[in-house]
Amino acid sequence: MDADALIQLSGVTKRYDSSGQPAVDNVSLQIGAGESVAVMGPSGSGKSTLLNVIAGLDRPTSGTVTVAGERIDKLSETGVAKFRRRKVGMIFQFFNLLDDLTVADNVLLPAQLAGLSRGQARQRAGSLLDRLGLAEHRQAYPARLSGGQRQRVAIARALVNSPELLLADEPTGALDTTTGEEIGALLAELNAAGQTMVLVTHNPDLAARYASRTVQLVDGRVTSDVVAAVPR
Amino acid sequence: MNIRPVLKAASGGVSRKRTQTAVIFLVLLVSTAAATLGLALLANSSGPFDRGFAAQHGADVTMGFSSARASDGQLAATRKLPGVTGSDGPFPATEVTLAHAGFQLPLATVVGRGSAGGKVDDLTLTAGHWPDGSGQIVLANNTYLVPDVGQQLTVENAPGKPKLTVVGFANSITNTADGWVLPSQVAALRPAGQPPAAEMLYSFAKAGTAAQVRADQAEIDAAVPAGAVTEHESWLVAKAQAAGAGSIIAPFVVAFALIGLVMSVLIVANVVSGAVVAGYRRIGVLKSIGFTPPQVVSAYLARIGLPALFGCLLGVAVGNWLARPVLDKSAPVYGVGSQSVPLWVNVLVPAAMFALVLLTALVPALRAGRLSAIQAIATGQAPSQGRGYAAHRFAAGLRLPRPVSIGLAAPFARPGRTVVTLAAIAFGAVAVIFAVGLDASLAQASDGQTHASAVQVQAGPNGPGGIGLGGSRDHAVRAALRSVPGTSRYVAEDFLELGVPGLSQPVNAEAFAGNASWTGYQLISGHWYHGTGQADVNTGFLQATGLSLGDSVRVSAGTSTVRVRIVGEVFDPQGKDQGAMLTSWQTLGGSAAGLRIQQYDIGVKPGVSVPGYASQLGSDLGQRYFVGTTAHSGQFYQIAEGLIAILTLMLAVVAGLGVLNTVLISTRDRVHDLGVFKAVGMTPRQVIAMVVCWVVAPAVIAAAIAIPAAMALHVATVNAMGQAAGTGISSVIMDVYKPAEIVLLALSALVIAAIGALLPAGWAAGARTATALRAE
Ligand SMILES: Nc1ncnc2c1ncn2[C@@H]1O[C@H](COP(=O)(O)OP(=O)(O)O)[C@@H](O)[C@H]1O
Ligand SMILES: [Mg+2]
Repeated sequence: MDADALIQLSGVTKRYDSSGQPAVDNVSLQIGAGESVAVMGPSGSGKSTLLNVIAGLDRPTSGTVTVAGERIDKLSETGVAKFRRRKVGMIFQFFNLLDDLTVADNVLLPAQLAGLSRGQARQRAGSLLDRLGLAEHRQAYPARLSGGQRQRVAIARALVNSPELLLADEPTGALDTTTGEEIGALLAELNAAGQTMVLVTHNPDLAARYASRTVQLVDGRVTSDVVAAVPR
Repeated sequence: MNIRPVLKAASGGVSRKRTQTAVIFLVLLVSTAAATLGLALLANSSGPFDRGFAAQHGADVTMGFSSARASDGQLAATRKLPGVTGSDGPFPATEVTLAHAGFQLPLATVVGRGSAGGKVDDLTLTAGHWPDGSGQIVLANNTYLVPDVGQQLTVENAPGKPKLTVVGFANSITNTADGWVLPSQVAALRPAGQPPAAEMLYSFAKAGTAAQVRADQAEIDAAVPAGAVTEHESWLVAKAQAAGAGSIIAPFVVAFALIGLVMSVLIVANVVSGAVVAGYRRIGVLKSIGFTPPQVVSAYLARIGLPALFGCLLGVAVGNWLARPVLDKSAPVYGVGSQSVPLWVNVLVPAAMFALVLLTALVPALRAGRLSAIQAIATGQAPSQGRGYAAHRFAAGLRLPRPVSIGLAAPFARPGRTVVTLAAIAFGAVAVIFAVGLDASLAQASDGQTHASAVQVQAGPNGPGGIGLGGSRDHAVRAALRSVPGTSRYVAEDFLELGVPGLSQPVNAEAFAGNASWTGYQLISGHWYHGTGQADVNTGFLQATGLSLGDSVRVSAGTSTVRVRIVGEVFDPQGKDQGAMLTSWQTLGGSAAGLRIQQYDIGVKPGVSVPGYASQLGSDLGQRYFVGTTAHSGQFYQIAEGLIAILTLMLAVVAGLGVLNTVLISTRDRVHDLGVFKAVGMTPRQVIAMVVCWVVAPAVIAAAIAIPAAMALHVATVNAMGQAAGTGISSVIMDVYKPAEIVLLALSALVIAAIGALLPAGWAAGARTATALRAE
């Protein structure tokens, strides 16, 4: 076991109903700081569930989840919320932006929840939006943006608190190929700059091109865990 | 149409959305109960006397006879006269002076009756039981002087001063007696020298007008020996008396009933349409698996209708249960034996509420039936977009914690729902603010009549005649008042009846020997009299005489006539057009004109125990004087306050439930957004703060509307009550809202809203984030 692992799952099982098949079945996994891991598998294999458990959005039925040194399966709801706010940024297939807030307000939100002063938060959000090419859309509403732009807003929002961990659940799933590749490249760029990342996808091409390690899930179990032989 | 899948889909929906089902059930229950109570009160406040008269077979004419002049046989013969349609009697009767705990009660007519029931004047026993032996009496329930069953009365003017125990209270709709004993008892109560008397009760074929009643009386008069008839009493007199008290209470009962009805309808409509819209997604799914539009519509009507039906039915039962104590309180005020929820109310209210549910459900359900599956799924999912941007932009600029500012802006995305929430809060707040003001006004009016906060103790000579001002007995009383610790001030007075030209009724006057401006009379206008020749009068005096402040009037007390100038109008309601005058001893001619001290009004120093003071003074003064403490409020005020409390509580609960439901529907609509908030790190407490803030802006606006609305309602209601009582309203009674109090009352809107929002906010905070985000 790697004591320095940023994420450490051991024996994690998640059941949605007590009788049936578990969605995640006795998974043990370690992910180190700076890694970029793709989680792959067919639909319904438990990828999202696994990611939610790591993010503290859901609790495992059994097993332990340690992220950045914290046993998040044991934290209270408030504790988990504060953990998420500081340590984790999340992006989703359908963006999950708040439609009645502007782009800037969406990005500012996690910083404000974390208690950052408005000035600081603005500065941080401003530079992120510049970097992601969204400077002129600050005051726009998500509904007016294209899918790729929306996903970039979501990425800016995920990064605004400089989280140690970026979790992405099918970030390109709702985008056309070209846009998807742009987003993939952006994520790879972030990883190259040191951002730890877990990326759920069922696009093998994307996984191969932008992740350094691939974990395969089938029926909630890890069936393979491969580190890319050749660095990109 | 195959009904089984429909019912299955409906019941599936019910168990899925258990909280929503519970809310529909609860809201219907409370609304139906409120509407039942409201309508029952409305029904009972319109013409209560006429209905009581019919139910209790009131006597059109009550007649007293001298048994020496007309035998029982002769009286019984009058029952067969052509105009008489119903009759009862003869009953033995007597006039006695009763005393309770040392206080003499006004002269009372006691009648001997074997039972409460009768073909005419069927008495309603409101407490206790009918006398079943000697030494027992049932009192009329409008005799407020003896509060409880079990108390002892002494017949002061009967030989041997026999004692009677109060075993019950009964209502005679036409006030045929002040008390009833068994017929065999009457002889023992009859004062020495009083000739035996009998009472007969009659109904006539025609007794609708005063002229008809006079003709009826003449028919009886002619049928008995001359001089046998000692008394006539028309039912129209009882009707006029009952109308007085009832019409005072009616304005606010009607106000509350109307608020309750409007709010019930509003909230039910909101709940039901919200529930159907929240179910659109499911409607879409049902359609996509092959439900026909009629099946979809019936599935949804069933889904809403079942819990609503149960709510309506239980609500009627609860409404009747709640109405019982309220009507028990209002019945004596209206002067009738008992009141009940009319059958038509019990049928109409649940039927109308249920019809309202079906109607409000039908509109969105029909729309759902027409929508394509995909449209329905989309409509059920997200609140309409594009609204509320400006509100969010504005709120984002406020220096507030982010969950708070987002919560504050949220209602603007759903203006329709927000307006309904606002209305529910506003109605609830109006009820609370109005109730608080009314309660304060009633307390002031009560004090203005009892003077309990100024004159805590009253004392005076026992028996008739009074004592002379400046005489030895007066000196003795004053010495006692000076020596008992705790006396703050006192003034001696005489009560007398004044004749005023043009008035058929004498005016009740109080002549004070000394400064009496502190005795607690509230001025409506003008000033307290000073100097000889000035007087204050009540509104009844001004209305009966047509005089106004500054006018002079000649009044006669006994043999002397004096001219007084009216300098002030005081709050002293004594019944419509019944005049009262307050003036100085000298103005009415003083001791020379025969004025005698009948009572000392005594103000006790703050902090001194009033009962302790009274008993000390009583023992110092001895047997020849009475000492009593001023009762704090009359039964009328207690009843009114009880009514206000129960009505307000119900309306506030209905308003809170209305808010709860709206917030619940909104959390369902926004379940996805709530998931996003949590995913980016919003803690449960922040979620609760945000959701509670959804209702803050509507609540503040509701308060801003409710304050002036409630104050206007208060002014109108108090004026209507004053008009019914034949009195003007003093500013002490009217101006009860203090600025600081208004701010506190405005908080009532916030409290109603916050309590309503807190529960669903907690649910939202506890909901699983991952599940919420899946609801895509
Ligand atoms: N909130 C939930 N309630 C019940 N079952 C769920 C829930 N979330 C996921 N599942 C089930 O768990 C299994 C794994 O789902 P998921 O993690 O979403 O898979 P993937 O993301 O790989 O498609 C599926 O069978 C899915 O139906
Ligand atoms: Mg998934």
